[in-house]
Amino acid sequence: MKHLFYFLADEGYHYELFKKPLPVWKYWYLLLLPLCLAISIVYKAIRCESMRRVPREAIGLFVFIIVVMVAAAGALAALVNFLD
Amino acid sequence: MPSQSSSFVPPPIVALATWIIPGSGYWLIGQRGRALTVGITIIILFILGMLIGGVRVVDVPNGVLSSPVNAVSQKPWFVGQILAGPITLIASSIGHDDAYFASHSRVNEIGTLYTAVAGMLNLLAIIDAAYRAGHNGGTA
Repeated sequence: MKHLFYFLADEGYHYELFKKPLPVWKYWYLLLLPLCLAISIVYKAIRCESMRRVPREAIGLFVFIIVVMVAAAGALAALVNFLD
Repeated sequence: MPSQSSSFVPPPIVALATWIIPGSGYWLIGQRGRALTVGITIIILFILGMLIGGVRVVDVPNGVLSSPVNAVSQKPWFVGQILAGPITLIASSIGHDDAYFASHSRVNEIGTLYTAVAGMLNLLAIIDAAYRAGHNGGTA
């Protein structure tokens, strides 16, 4: 399993599952995706009365969160550039 | 196939069960699809947090029993983590071994965020499962 993550690591870093941090410091922003997906699934599983509606509504919420976060990041980047 | 139960389960028992094993409170009141969805997602999120930052992102603050306010103020994210259940205490006890390395910077922050968010989501599940147990008289 640990070999699965070798492609992420810099040369010389020997990843050990759960013992050392995952070498994802170049790709940390991608880790927001599973977090947002999990939040969407659990939130919609709690809110929806029928579990049949959960997959569709969870995907909708996931996309909404990502779009809003990207928009917020873009707005903040534009603000920082403007202030500079 | 109906996944409903007619047995009454008191809301405090449902809340406690959900804290011990995320999603299990829903199972007790007969909502098995919801139990599996919520439970598996929360546990995967918690394990992903430890996978990203290492097991030592979960750490019980020193003196949490003797002076809890002081201990928690040093590591406030522990409040979120402990809501995920005893898995937090197990992970913390494992992480005290010297074989486990502490992570730093952004990787540590993201691992901590994952585990704390898993606990906060479990709090939502605890409240919702207990409410459903009481509102429906323990029957789904």
